[in-house]
Amino acid sequence: MKATRTIFLILILILFLPPAAKATTALETVRKNVNQVLEILRDPSRKAQFAKEIKEDRIRPIFKEMFDDVELSKRTLGRNWSVLKPNQQEEFVTLFRRILENAYADKILSYKNEEVVFDRESMIGPNRAEVYTRVITSSKQIPVVYRVILKDGTWRVYDVVIENVSLVQNYRSQFNDILSKDTPEKLLEIMRNKLREKKS
Amino acid sequence: MKRVPLIFLLITAFWMMGLSTLTWAESPKDPSPPPTAEEMEDEYKDEEPLTIPDPLEPFNRAMFTFNDKLYFWVLKPIAQGYGEVVPETARVGVNRFFNNLGFPIRFINCLLQGKFKGALSEFGRFTINTVWGIGGLLDPAGDEDINLKAYHEDLGRTLASYGIGHGIFIMWPVLGPSSLRDTVGSAGDLFLNPVSYVEPWYAGEAIKGYDKVNEVSLRIGDYESLKEAAIDPYIAVRNAYIQYRKQAGGRQGFITPPAKEKNIEGKP
Repeated sequence: MKATRTIFLILILILFLPPAAKATTALETVRKNVNQVLEILRDPSRKAQFAKEIKEDRIRPIFKEMFDDVELSKRTLGRNWSVLKPNQQEEFVTLFRRILENAYADKILSYKNEEVVFDRESMIGPNRAEVYTRVITSSKQIPVVYRVILKDGTWRVYDVVIENVSLVQNYRSQFNDILSKDTPEKLLEIMRNKLREKKS
Repeated sequence: MKRVPLIFLLITAFWMMGLSTLTWAESPKDPSPPPTAEEMEDEYKDEEPLTIPDPLEPFNRAMFTFNDKLYFWVLKPIAQGYGEVVPETARVGVNRFFNNLGFPIRFINCLLQGKFKGALSEFGRFTINTVWGIGGLLDPAGDEDINLKAYHEDLGRTLASYGIGHGIFIMWPVLGPSSLRDTVGSAGDLFLNPVSYVEPWYAGEAIKGYDKVNEVSLRIGDYESLKEAAIDPYIAVRNAYIQYRKQAGGRQGFITPPAKEKNIEGKP
């Protein structure tokens, strides 16, 4: 009797421990960040005229914590990263982060009334993981995968894959196209203009 | 008496074991198998994004502008007006109905790719949703207790599974982004689409147009945000198209060449 019970207990432990042990912080980090952003977006006390700017100001520090902007920039430019001079690289990182913030905020803003489900994470390298989430709307489910990298003990996002389309890859194709015809300076100028037109 | 709870426990344990192996076995397929570390490493080692030859770029860009205007000036206002009048639940139902009608396309293409599990799942979905889902307006087969997955296969993907590449990128007026291969595929799929057999021909076209407006009414904002986020919207759409087509094909066990033996740690 005792033996059976012990076996049963061991069975239970074997069955349930691996997933529990695997549930490390990648998923939790993404969940925390996304929920923080959603909370700000859903905040009903900010319906004022300038609500959008206020919300963006509050979201920005979370983004800074959430995304690894240098990693993102390097991966997006790929081989072209080294074509840029150090000061250009610096400006690129700043500009690109702001463009991404806008893009991501727009996208997540349209999801603010929807439920976000955090499904699972899977390791894709010694220090990289993918966090699978779904945005559930009344008519469809949109798979959103966050690719995260562990640096200095923190998981940071370096790519977002929405409906199977990787943001980094998508921007990379655009930057490559521009850099194949124009100089890095021209690219930075295009990006500056992009942000300016967004402001107005 | 004392035996009973133990038996219960054992049964529960076995049941849970079965259940958890089941979920373990299934979870990697949902929603997509995680690429192996080697694949990821490869993806970032090669610095080029997925590309597609685009010799028609000037024409394609002109068509992109045309489609852009068509969307903002015609399609979107119509879809918005329609969305004002018809409640969302009804529009979701209509969308499901047309999806259900597209069953022959998915079923035949699953078979053509040798995906018998997919064909079976599609067959089950069609039967259940047609009979209990009021002709496909509801999706009882997708409920959690039945949970039959849809396999969005089409002829373009079948051709891809036979090793045929995209060819060149084509931006069709009205129809939108495609490739040489997928254009051939879509043309072939027309024969499997029941709506194509509606007489007279313009009635069939009207039905397709309605399906399109209904679909757009559920997706308003998607194109806008893509365009808003893009530095060059044309390139963004082109790249999103090939990414979507590639990964959606890879989602259900698309044959990928075995990754080369590589050390993840980056040692030679």
